[in-house]
Amino acid sequence: MKALLKRSMVVVLALGLTGSLAACSSPSEGETQAGGSGTIKLKLWDQSVGNTDPSSKLLPEIIEKWNADHPNIQVERTGTTGEQYKTKIKTALAANEAPDVFYGMGGGSFMQPYIKSDNVLDITSYVTDDIKAKMAPGMLEGITTNGKIYSLPVYTHIASLYVNTELFQKAGAKIPTTYQELLDAVSKLKEAGITPALIGEKDRWPGMYWYDLIAMRQAGNDAVVEAFKDPSKWNTPDFVAAAAKMQELAKAGAFNSSMFSMSYDEMLGAFNAGNGAMMVQANWVNGGIEDESSAVKGKVQVVPFPIFEDGKGKSTEIFGGGQDGFYVSSSTKYPKEAVEFLTYLSMELGTKGFQAGAGLPSWNTDGIDTSGLSELDQAAAEIMKTGNSFITWWDNILPAESADAHKNLIATLLSGDMSPEEFCKQMAQLKPTELDL
Amino acid sequence: MNSVFSNKTAISIFVLPTLLIFCGIVLVPIFISSYYSLLDWNGVGKGAFIGFRNYVEMFTDTRALHAMKNSLLFAAASVFIQLPISLVLALVLASAVKGEGFYRTVYFIPVLISTVVIAQLWSKIYNADYGLLNTLLKDIGLSGWVQDWLGQKKTALIASFIPTLWQYIGYHMLLMYAGAKSVSQDIFEAAKIDGASRVRTAIAITIPLMRPILKVCLVFSVIGAFKVFDLVYVLTGGGPLFATEVPSTLMYTTIFDTYRYGYGSALSVFIILECLVFTVVINTFFKTE
Repeated sequence: MKALLKRSMVVVLALGLTGSLAACSSPSEGETQAGGSGTIKLKLWDQSVGNTDPSSKLLPEIIEKWNADHPNIQVERTGTTGEQYKTKIKTALAANEAPDVFYGMGGGSFMQPYIKSDNVLDITSYVTDDIKAKMAPGMLEGITTNGKIYSLPVYTHIASLYVNTELFQKAGAKIPTTYQELLDAVSKLKEAGITPALIGEKDRWPGMYWYDLIAMRQAGNDAVVEAFKDPSKWNTPDFVAAAAKMQELAKAGAFNSSMFSMSYDEMLGAFNAGNGAMMVQANWVNGGIEDESSAVKGKVQVVPFPIFEDGKGKSTEIFGGGQDGFYVSSSTKYPKEAVEFLTYLSMELGTKGFQAGAGLPSWNTDGIDTSGLSELDQAAAEIMKTGNSFITWWDNILPAESADAHKNLIATLLSGDMSPEEFCKQMAQLKPTELDL
Repeated sequence: MNSVFSNKTAISIFVLPTLLIFCGIVLVPIFISSYYSLLDWNGVGKGAFIGFRNYVEMFTDTRALHAMKNSLLFAAASVFIQLPISLVLALVLASAVKGEGFYRTVYFIPVLISTVVIAQLWSKIYNADYGLLNTLLKDIGLSGWVQDWLGQKKTALIASFIPTLWQYIGYHMLLMYAGAKSVSQDIFEAAKIDGASRVRTAIAITIPLMRPILKVCLVFSVIGAFKVFDLVYVLTGGGPLFATEVPSTLMYTTIFDTYRYGYGSALSVFIILECLVFTVVINTFFKTE
């Protein structure tokens, strides 16, 4: 018996060893194949692996179809989850070992250093007028940096106010369209013992969405763009007033008392369980709200963030609309094929993703069936259509270090440890954006 | 066998693989980090040499100083709270109580669980809305104590210390338990004949004879406190408003959120030096006494 056990152990070990050997040698096999039989292998890295993320279902289907249609250009996909993906792609890019095509995490300040250091392929010459004509309005401007194109849009997201209509009815509050109505709603909800709004400030960016929207409503998008270019303009009366309003809301008890220990995920969980009446988020939360497991399914409305009586911003000025797409590595051996795949992927994922509720379209959607979309998705698409000015997430526009400082400043402002004046003085110390706006 | 171990070439051949791996994954990166710490570098492209300016910034930046203060507080808590508890548990277990093996296993379980799991567990315990701690306080009539443990500056630091202290009590207990068990039974018998009480035996005989193992525990505990990252990162991410920031979480944010590889490397060099200095200090302290 013992001898048998020993022998089978040896076999298992041997199998394991050969297995790992095979694993080691497979990349080189791939390369020789590419040279020999003319088959090109492209590597794709993305971060769409979540259960509720429609892209994680669509991506394998799109790649399978591509591989079937293009026997000579085979795509191999590796998906990694969000935060880990960030670290992984940064490390690979810095080591010049990036895959041929990869997801660029919202572009902006995330990709800027790699574009500057030529780790990303300039695809301007590959983007034909034909492709440009298929893009939705405003998208081409968004992907152009210094006259060059590095990425194609997939879909886009805009942030709006999500309200739980059931809780609003219970408290007898009106869905706010102005700042005064927002304050009224807060006090009515509080009286009824309902948490007016939820912020997952442990992750810091959910609070940033509130301040950034308030600032855009108070000062108007043009002033915000000016300030991105010349940070000293952050210290002007309009931005001080915006910071004061943010603090006023916090002091009025608009936000959950546990915001500093609540993560983004916990915030979504709490909102979907009906534990808060309002949330400022982008349309990527729609899927979760409309999910079968959600207690607030069908009870949530998405509306434009309230306008301010004394503000310069309009409800047609929208927070979001950024490009969130894939990039081609400059170290790829097959730039032409990689861009060809990038175009196919961006268009397919953009349109199919829109239909599946993953995001708002950045490609022309005329004649596309939208009947499968949830009410929230359709409402968000309507808000997007009204938009005539877009400013994407500020932490993507600001250089990385300033983005971090911006989020920390807002957290301090929310905690009441900092006056609006001091907040704006500190904001004026930020670095100007490196992007074209 | 003896002839093999006295053969210098044989020794070097056996030592070489480990030495190479150790150099490759520990020593070389330390030297590379030291070099990076003198650069102003964003992780890609070329960095600019700026001398010791990163270090100057580190020792003048209130955020970094606060993180260092937190790690020193944490080390103090480990030495003065964690180790005494471990010592008492080890001595009690070693004095042949009933169910010795059972308790030994139970106290050691937290060490075996992944720190991230422990952090998730404790963040649910501390949760302000449905956490075990707040529910318990409400149920026993202490509603006034209910609060957002991890979300307030004044409680977050202590709340994030407790899980790590708790987790590694079992680890140090096991080391000390082994030390206490290795003391020869003859000595205990002699003490018994002389009429020494159990407490007296522990203070006068067991603890002094455990000195080598106590030194090891002290070093591990202090270094562990300086290096702590995973638990704090998952529990609070260094927040709220930097209240629980330690050098390692600050290093992570500097490198991966703000792309300052140079400054982040300077912080990592600081952590290494801090650990090295304290190891030497603890060793000399135990030698001179």
